[in-house]
Amino acid sequence: MTPELDRRTFLKLAGVTAFIAACGGAATKATGRISIYSALNESTNNQLFAAFTKATGVEVSALPLAAAGDLQTKITAEKNNPQADIFVGGSSEFHDPLGKQGLLEAYQSPNAKDVGAQFKEASGLWTGWYTGIFGFISNTSRLKTDLGGKKPATWDDLLDPAWSKKLILPDPIKTGGGYIFIATQIFRFNRDETKAMDYMKKLHANILSYGATSPGVITSISNGEAAGAPNWSHDILTEKAKDPSKIDLNVPKDTGFEVGAVSIVKGTKNLPGAQAFVDWVLTKEAGDLNVKLSNRGSVRKDVSPAPGSPTLDQVSLVNYDRQWATDNKTRIQKLWQSTVGIQ
Amino acid sequence: MRSLQREPALLLALLAVTALVLTFIVYPQLQVVLTPGPGGYVQFLQEGTWLTPLRNSIQLTLLSTTTAVLLGFVYAYAMVYSNMRWKPFFRLIGILPLLSPPFVVAAAYTLLFGARGVISYGVFGQSPNIYGLNGVWGVQTIAFFPFAYQLIADALSRSDPRMEQAARNLGAGSWRVFLTVTLPLSRPGLGAAILTTAIYILEDFGNPQLIGGVFYVLPTQAYSLISSFGEYTSAAAVSTILLLLALALYLAKVRLDGGRSFVTISGRASSMPRPPVSAAVSRACFAACLALAGVILLVYGSLVVSAFTLRFPNNLQVTTEHFQYVLTGTNGDALRNTLVFSGVAAAFSAVFALFAGWLVQRGQWPGRRALDLLLILPAAIPGIFFGLGYLVAFNQRWLDFVDRGWLIIIAFVFWNIPVGYQAAVAGLRQIDRSIDEAATSLGASSLRGFRDVVLPMLGGSLRVGFVTTFVRAVTTLSLVIFLFTPPTTVATIRIYQLVGDLNWGAATAYTVADIGLAIIALLIFATLARGRISLGAARA
Repeated sequence: MTPELDRRTFLKLAGVTAFIAACGGAATKATGRISIYSALNESTNNQLFAAFTKATGVEVSALPLAAAGDLQTKITAEKNNPQADIFVGGSSEFHDPLGKQGLLEAYQSPNAKDVGAQFKEASGLWTGWYTGIFGFISNTSRLKTDLGGKKPATWDDLLDPAWSKKLILPDPIKTGGGYIFIATQIFRFNRDETKAMDYMKKLHANILSYGATSPGVITSISNGEAAGAPNWSHDILTEKAKDPSKIDLNVPKDTGFEVGAVSIVKGTKNLPGAQAFVDWVLTKEAGDLNVKLSNRGSVRKDVSPAPGSPTLDQVSLVNYDRQWATDNKTRIQKLWQSTVGIQ
Repeated sequence: MRSLQREPALLLALLAVTALVLTFIVYPQLQVVLTPGPGGYVQFLQEGTWLTPLRNSIQLTLLSTTTAVLLGFVYAYAMVYSNMRWKPFFRLIGILPLLSPPFVVAAAYTLLFGARGVISYGVFGQSPNIYGLNGVWGVQTIAFFPFAYQLIADALSRSDPRMEQAARNLGAGSWRVFLTVTLPLSRPGLGAAILTTAIYILEDFGNPQLIGGVFYVLPTQAYSLISSFGEYTSAAAVSTILLLLALALYLAKVRLDGGRSFVTISGRASSMPRPPVSAAVSRACFAACLALAGVILLVYGSLVVSAFTLRFPNNLQVTTEHFQYVLTGTNGDALRNTLVFSGVAAAFSAVFALFAGWLVQRGQWPGRRALDLLLILPAAIPGIFFGLGYLVAFNQRWLDFVDRGWLIIIAFVFWNIPVGYQAAVAGLRQIDRSIDEAATSLGASSLRGFRDVVLPMLGGSLRVGFVTTFVRAVTTLSLVIFLFTPPTTVATIRIYQLVGDLNWGAATAYTVADIGLAIIALLIFATLARGRISLGAARA
């Protein structure tokens, strides 16, 4: 056999194989393997994906990075040769720009009918599936000795001189949580930025330090570096589970929240598999499991919250305008820096 | 070195080095620099958010470089000149601060010396606020003195003891000899040390991020823009500002160097002993090194304690559960990847840096200044952008057949070249050209002269390149954050996840396993290379 013939045979075989593969792809049953970029917690990833594989038979290669911005950037940088099929976790703020740049594949999952319109992108570029509420962590013993055990019922309570140098705030320049805190104050004062900045200035006097990462602040409070800090409720509950007497969670009035999203990356090599993941993550089963693993809430009404966890219905929320918060971020951050005198 | 026309092999080697540098340093970085586009740059510059971080970066770099180089010089002097005890111990301690995965070591400082620190509050009852300029200055001094120490020790050990003996015989006191002979002779090493240390401090993100508080610097600004807000374009503009600053540092160094010769006669330390330093100086050296070692051991010791206890520092019940976790599932794979990638990269990087250093320092061809700059530049590129550049440049369909592990290895090689390269150039400047010219006069080709004459004399520089590349590769997070794939996950990625998950015990256990394996690997390497290359700073 000459090399020429050999190559022809090979090409024919390759063609047949491709044809069979294409048929397989068109079939309704999702199979094979999907690559998931996940901004979820370490402890959530493994069990959540194992449950998905068990339910659907689709295997998962997970690429975990706790910072959603890293994954958003990675997907942007990989646009010529996408490596991910699914982007899961992280607030919708990280998914939405990808959709606007045409890097996401729109998909209206049949299960998305159970998800309220405020939790999803209209054309299906991303779908929300969990919620996180901004709350307050306090160190039990320091709260007792330094503040007579009084937790803040409102954000204004934190201006009490008794809190002087006993607060840590996630850094509004370095962390998403810290910025959401400022934005929440602005929405609380009906977008009156002067009032909001006045609040931040007074609060600044009570703040011991600004934390570099939101989870790091929880560790600091746990260690008693300060008496309390604004932070994510679900992460506070997860820390509390390790030693329930040490720290506590409460949610002050007029707080902010995030919508955790899932999206399909355009150019996915396994569209049925990716769609199967979106379908599955929107089920009650996945919602229950995520609540159990991460203490976050679910967008589904039929998923009960984690014990001790606040729900969107129970807490008082500000009218949080995500688009406005994103569009004005640089300006607000600069305004805050000059207000509190951090040059 | 003979002219390029007469030695085609040399010309080919030069072209190959240039091509590699263009492909793996310039091309990927251009992807990042060009990202914002003219409009993006104009908008970013007008927003002015970079002004404060720029000023802070310059201030911090000046302060930390000064103290780190001073400390590095004292340490190197003690190791090379004094007769103090415990030198092998101090040699190992001098490498430890390089083995600092971001987040973990910086966080250990807060646990020890912070407002409720085990030492500051537990022992002394003080609640200092370590967040800010002073805290990050102190931590950076300790974190970066090893770069200065390694480069200076390499230069000091190569200076010829006969010169110092001669000065002493002519009646100069030991202080005078130090000022007029030792110090001037170590100027190439000193210049290289200042430049390298300054550039690495400029690029440092882990320490300012965790200890700096609201003292924002350019790398933390760039990192936050990406990780917390997904703003890649503005972040790329910040990275370009960092590159320009590094360029300024480089030009300052070139001016300082001038065209002076620092040749000592043979290039290889002669068998003659160095003039003895007084017992008092040796004792002072010992005390200084011991104090420094104490701080370093405290920090790393706290990681070990944390790895073996339930919930450091609150619950000190001994447990092995963290290590059991570290060794389950795919966690072990990540450790293996780290060691393999780092080892392969260190070997390539050290040899390549030395060869490139020889081509640049000995060559008489146009464009060598440009190549010199390009080989130092990677130090100024924050790892996150070096990795991003690689992802944009090399994540191509036609390259999909290549295992992604190679991308990480190549990134390690070129990102870490500057130290080994600086060591090689500084070393060559102390070796008289006539030595390699002797070989070529006897008929050897320039390349053969490099292999048989220069290479054996620059064992110290080779070691500096290998060790720093290895330890930096083992501990970098930012470089791999955009390059890893599930099968090529490395240890620092796992540590990052565990810290984010508030699993401090497992994170420290993983760190201890990572650092421990790296030290064992270095010791094995030192044993294998015994007699040719020694671990740690130069032999006294």
